[in-house]
Amino acid sequence: MSFEIPTISYNGVIRQITVGKEPNCVTVGGESCYPFYLFEGAMPHLPRIAMEVYDAPPEDWPQAALEPFADVVHDPAAWAQKCVGSYGAEMIALQLASTDPNAQDTPAEKAVEVTKKVAAAINVPLIVWGSGNLEKDKEVLRMISERCAEETLLLGPVEEGSYKALGAASLAYQHTIAASTPIDVNLAKQLNILLGNLGVPDDRIIIDPTVGALGYGLEFCYSVMERDRMAALTQEDERLQFPIVCNLGKEVWKIKETRLSEEEAPLLGDPLKRGVLLEAMTALLFLLAGGDIVIMRHPDAIQLVRGLMNELMGEGV
Amino acid sequence: MSKIICSAAIRGAHKIVQRAEAEYQAAMEKWGPDQEIGFPNTAYYLPIIYGILGIGVKKLKDAKDVLDRCRSLLPDMVAEHVWLPYLAPALEAGMATFFAEEIIEAIRYLESPDYYTRTEGPADGNIWLGAADDVILRKRGVEFVDGTAPGFAAILGAPPTKEIAVQLAQELQEKNLYVFMCSDHEGRKMSELLVEEGVQIGWPTRLVSFGPEYTAAVFAMGFATRVAMSFGGIKPGDFTGNLIYNKDRVFAFAMPLGTVTDEWYANAAGAINWSFPTIADTPIPEILPTGICTYEHVVSNVPYDQLVSKAIEVRGLKVTVSEVPVPVSFGPAFEGERVRKDDLYLECGGPKSQAVEWVTTRDMDEVEDGKIELFGPDVDDVEEGSRLPLAIVCEFAGRKMEEDFEPILERQIHHFVNHTQGLMHIGQRDITWIRMSKAGRAKGLKLKHIGSVLHAKFHQEFGAIFDKVQIKLYTEQEKVRESVEEAKRSYEYRDARIEGMTDETTEMFYSCTLCQSFAPSHVCIISPERTGLCGAYNWMDCKASYEINATGPNQPVEKGECLDPKLGQWKGCNEFIYKASRGAIDHYSLYSLMHDPMTACGCFECVAAVLPICNGVMTVDRDYAGMTPCGMKFTTLAGTIGGGLSTPGFMGHSKYNITQKKWISADGGIKRLVWMPKSLKEEIGHRLKESSERVGIPELLDMIADETVGISEEEILPFLEEKGHPALSMDPILE
Ligand code: SF4
Repeated sequence: MSFEIPTISYNGVIRQITVGKEPNCVTVGGESCYPFYLFEGAMPHLPRIAMEVYDAPPEDWPQAALEPFADVVHDPAAWAQKCVGSYGAEMIALQLASTDPNAQDTPAEKAVEVTKKVAAAINVPLIVWGSGNLEKDKEVLRMISERCAEETLLLGPVEEGSYKALGAASLAYQHTIAASTPIDVNLAKQLNILLGNLGVPDDRIIIDPTVGALGYGLEFCYSVMERDRMAALTQEDERLQFPIVCNLGKEVWKIKETRLSEEEAPLLGDPLKRGVLLEAMTALLFLLAGGDIVIMRHPDAIQLVRGLMNELMGEGV
Repeated sequence: MSKIICSAAIRGAHKIVQRAEAEYQAAMEKWGPDQEIGFPNTAYYLPIIYGILGIGVKKLKDAKDVLDRCRSLLPDMVAEHVWLPYLAPALEAGMATFFAEEIIEAIRYLESPDYYTRTEGPADGNIWLGAADDVILRKRGVEFVDGTAPGFAAILGAPPTKEIAVQLAQELQEKNLYVFMCSDHEGRKMSELLVEEGVQIGWPTRLVSFGPEYTAAVFAMGFATRVAMSFGGIKPGDFTGNLIYNKDRVFAFAMPLGTVTDEWYANAAGAINWSFPTIADTPIPEILPTGICTYEHVVSNVPYDQLVSKAIEVRGLKVTVSEVPVPVSFGPAFEGERVRKDDLYLECGGPKSQAVEWVTTRDMDEVEDGKIELFGPDVDDVEEGSRLPLAIVCEFAGRKMEEDFEPILERQIHHFVNHTQGLMHIGQRDITWIRMSKAGRAKGLKLKHIGSVLHAKFHQEFGAIFDKVQIKLYTEQEKVRESVEEAKRSYEYRDARIEGMTDETTEMFYSCTLCQSFAPSHVCIISPERTGLCGAYNWMDCKASYEINATGPNQPVEKGECLDPKLGQWKGCNEFIYKASRGAIDHYSLYSLMHDPMTACGCFECVAAVLPICNGVMTVDRDYAGMTPCGMKFTTLAGTIGGGLSTPGFMGHSKYNITQKKWISADGGIKRLVWMPKSLKEEIGHRLKESSERVGIPELLDMIADETVGISEEEILPFLEEKGHPALSMDPILE
């Protein structure tokens, strides 16, 4: 008897979602198989890497992360241009970290201004990510949604506590939203149902499953993403058939291992290599779990992940 | 539908269509067929016509078709002697009215471009804003979608005085509703009354002065129609979709103030198509039976001070209360706050006085939402360290309110009172015990605030299952005694009802998948006779939870065909389990630990395990840290059988479940119970006793071994033999 490779029977397909505005848009999703199981199905769109840009100069970044952007950290628009121009970013993720009431508490109007500037400076899709403070995000993202109506943004995080306000804003101004839930399949599904009930069309939802860095709970996030994908592709769970975005750069570069200097932790080796590898490995693992968009920071890490991704796609390095 | 209303509405529609035709004729002659017409800055043309008929009126000549449609929609005038069901013709007349009025208003924009301000608020002395453009629509429509503004009141005419006008406007604003105003009553206009009183009107204050004539009512309806198209993705011309969207999502109503003219009737009839009912201050005929609208269609002769609450009730709008109005802090952080002897200002209940809390259901018209009354002295009337008796009576009313929700709401009183800084709450029902601290009292806290807290929190967290709640607090001994009596009768009734519910007589079970976050394949099926493993959810809780949050973790499960009455397996349950466990588990039994027991998550209160030598079953609860006769401690057991597995011979369950009739009934029920920790035995002893009597072995409690007898099967067996435990003579538990 000849050997037959067991195959999985899929009955679902991930929705294809287009982010951004013609002609600078990018489509993600569309998978009909587990990530990179190209022998069983198709991945019509390669996962995309978005590069981070911050709305205010970062104060506590390790040298390794700061170094490539040292000349542009004071100007988000120039920063974004550098990412696209010098590092070939396919998307930009504007992190509005300074709007957090526990940080600088930058007012929403200011965030709108920055968003407009960055959007005007680039010709790739723009992701705008709030600080994670629920009430402030509602105010900030809602205003951005209204005032930047001419852009088609990907806005996140949209949580259970803010889905009505931000879902409605997405409806009115045609933005895509990142539906964010704390590492749980059922909660992710529930939020997608709620967004659907609100009237948000299915082609404007991307799942943010919440991610952690390698060594900091990654495996839990990994298995939740895996289960998201299993439910979507093999269990006909229609409310989970959405692409996934992983906002991981900021997670990786805040862990101790990326921040200690060589003197502080001689056993951990070169801090640059260490940080880059941690970020690249985190990103790769999330791609293997089903990530469609990964938000990353360091150009070298991005380079590594691109290479690996191409190899997985069978396209050589 | 009332004949008077229908005839008037149809008459009104005829007049309005005639007027539109005449104005159209004149406009055609003056401007010619190719003259462009429309409302300013909108992609929706004349929105009602566009939304309902799918016709985009761009030029004067395009209106011709629409007017023809009006004619064909217009029913004949109602003759004196006929008596027919009138609803449908009146609704069609109402539709024709809106089409005609849009044409009238479009011609007005053409003839008098400065008639309306085209701004968000009054400008250059002109207060009439006219149609909202698309920018306003998007900005304000968002609020309709996300619920910050649930809907609008379309006011035609004006109340008799400025004071009432201001009061009405304020009340509507407090409910976060938009107020759309048009038309006049005997020359008085609502918008003008407000302006005269110095009230700011315009979109930003949600008091929108559309126009002085009744025809401006179409701006309100057009707004609703556009919301459905731009936010609901409803296509132009999909009139059913549009009307249903509005019924389900836009909480609007018409509020005619003053004499209802034929034209007003025509507009009101039109609004019923959108399921917007009419609430009037004048004694017009009522249309109470429900049909198109969620509840009644026309309610009339409502006093001014009740207009808003009546409107909210009839439209089925939910009240939102955003703040808890108390002079102290409020939140879960204060749950653990103790009020000790030295901090104590006032004590109600406890060992030395009487206190009771009771939730009951009343008729809609017996309850005034938010009414909080205190009968008897409050904290300021008594000395430090005093005691008062206290009865807290919460009277609920609502179209979805059910008696079954009473205990669930009542249980919340404990949490809500405890979350109030300066208050401590212990116990429930007629053993309630509340203490107020000196610090709380110094900040201005009163007993009456308990009412404010409860009103706000009930609405915030359980608003989905009721409409109104009023709270009465009694601190006079005699009154409290009466309340206790009344409450006790109700407790008995409830208990009997719950006790009386069986799985056989209940078609709908509920699921709980809350624990899937850590036990992915675990699904609890919760039936009246099998509460959730964790003890936190019984059947009634799940039912209420589903009413409150239809997409949440508690879903109704139609049990379907019974596959095995002994084991407790149903087709519907098994199918649900298969789906909800994502294919991992395809069936289990509700009543057995030996045959396909229910999956276990990890947060069960107790684990039951088979003891083969004793031919029985033991159970151990989380609080017992010692060894058990099955050779494993609770933690080991939990680790072994948890995580969403179904492990024959082991089963997770709640403490309460032990004394429910169906607990492992397939394996012999409570008669199999041979060992349990002493503390658990004491905790549920009272109910265990009743269960023993039910199975005809009243002395069973004394036959069950505990750790003082032994912690291995060998140790307890002689005890069981000596006591003559029934398990020993039952069929072998291992087949
Ligand atoms: S154990 Fe409790 S919380 Fe967990 S699924 Fe069952 S009923 Fe829900």
